[in-house]
Amino acid sequence: MNTVVRNLRVVRRMTAAEIAQQSVYRGAWIIFMLANICMPVISLLIWRTALANGAKLPVDERYITTYFVLLGFVTMATSSWMAAFLANDIRLGKLSSWMVRPASLLVKFVANNLSEKFLKLFALVPMIGIVWWIFRDSMNIPADAGRWALFAVSIVLGAVLVFTIDILIAALAFWMDDVGALVQARVIIASVLSGAVVPLALMPAWSRGFVDHQPFRYTVSFPVEIVAGQLTGRELLAGLGIQLGYVVVLGALARLVWAAGIRAYSAVGA
Amino acid sequence: MNTYAEERPSLDRNWLQLQWRHVRLWRRFFAQAVVRETHYRAHFLTTLLVGLVQLGLGIVPTLLLFGFTSEVHGWSRAEVIALVGVFQIVTGLIATFVAPNLNRMTTYLTEGELDSVLLRPVSSQFYLTLRWINVAELTNVASGIVVLVIGLVQSDLRPGFGQVVQAVVLAGCGLVLLTAVWSAMSFLAFWLQSVNPIGVVFLSMVEAGRYPLVFFPVAVRTFLTFAFPVAFATTFPVRALAGDLGWGPVVLGLGLAVVAMTLVRLVWRRGLLTYSSASS
Repeated sequence: MNTVVRNLRVVRRMTAAEIAQQSVYRGAWIIFMLANICMPVISLLIWRTALANGAKLPVDERYITTYFVLLGFVTMATSSWMAAFLANDIRLGKLSSWMVRPASLLVKFVANNLSEKFLKLFALVPMIGIVWWIFRDSMNIPADAGRWALFAVSIVLGAVLVFTIDILIAALAFWMDDVGALVQARVIIASVLSGAVVPLALMPAWSRGFVDHQPFRYTVSFPVEIVAGQLTGRELLAGLGIQLGYVVVLGALARLVWAAGIRAYSAVGA
Repeated sequence: MNTYAEERPSLDRNWLQLQWRHVRLWRRFFAQAVVRETHYRAHFLTTLLVGLVQLGLGIVPTLLLFGFTSEVHGWSRAEVIALVGVFQIVTGLIATFVAPNLNRMTTYLTEGELDSVLLRPVSSQFYLTLRWINVAELTNVASGIVVLVIGLVQSDLRPGFGQVVQAVVLAGCGLVLLTAVWSAMSFLAFWLQSVNPIGVVFLSMVEAGRYPLVFFPVAVRTFLTFAFPVAFATTFPVRALAGDLGWGPVVLGLGLAVVAMTLVRLVWRRGLLTYSSASS
């Protein structure tokens, strides 16, 4: 228990320091967040046009609108961009200096993740607010506060899941020289399977069994579905259970791989 | 004895020769880029593979969309596939010839590399916009041509010679217009110092070009035609190939391209006035 508390304290201190450091680039965050909502807004307009033009979608206009308005927020909140940086730290031997410190190198990446998201929030929320206001008449807004609480829980679990997947990919740098291609492959595959490009509800029927149960759904699509969709209470619980299951299983796996990697690590540049 | 301080004859006798000298220079850049690329064959291969996967996934929304309907505002699936092909060609050309340069804009200004460019007997704007070429990205242009042909065959379009000329000129205008917009955004670096995120915004907005203009609400269409003229790069060329576009839009495109280039030139001139070297 003591180590957990100590690590949390380190994370809190480092996050505060990172926030101070990163807020220098506040203009850049605003521009990045502008790019972040471009794609969801384009998709939103396209699918609304298709619906207005008589396309027979399995979901209605309210679902599509709510989905894409919230999408930009959820992709940001659950994102992780550290795989390439972490792999570099391993490959170039930066890890060495962290191994003699009383905290894991991963703590630095957790702090970086939290601090950047905190700053991005200030830029992104007003933008989402504007899009929300424009489409306010066709938004699904659950009155039930419980849904929003589950939405928040699911986002946190999703963020942990993405972060864990990134650790798993970056940890391959202990054995491989270049994981750049793998990182890129993860980004491309996840963009489709997470529902960031097209709502998974629109995927063809033959792919449903796979699409609904693969881990990437629980990184973006599932939290959005909680608010936008018609998930029944049962589906909701089952979904959260699966999400939690993935977090636990992948988390345990990441811990094993990371530990094995540390043992296999031979310091470069020491 | 001649010193550098003395008045010397200009390198070019007239305006035409000045342009020709820049074309010759650009050919050298290209030849050098090809030689460079042969040293990095793995880079070539990964660019090719990533490009193909992105092309495939980029077409997924279109295919899904047309699984639910056979046409949207008069566009069939095959026509939209042709449009994705044109999109791939134009973005491929931008990634080859323009992106490697504008992505360096921040470095040019903050590290003072612009100093050494200004000293050269070459148009500095030309040099900053077209110096570096990423030859590997041309594979995306090739795959774009394949997709375009597939789309045209499936949609039974048989464009005549005139229509092909219209399409090529319009796509060319689109390329120039998009380059102008991105350049203008990048030249903001003179005032903002760091413009790296602007490239990200530009590339996200270009994504709108994957879909025909009529798929967007009217206000957005105007924006995508005149302010962020991605319509000239994709929608208009495909409509020209389908034969439902006169020469009017072609003239409009050429006119806009000239206006845009003039404006960018002005932004560059103004920006250069504010530049106070970073290296010395």
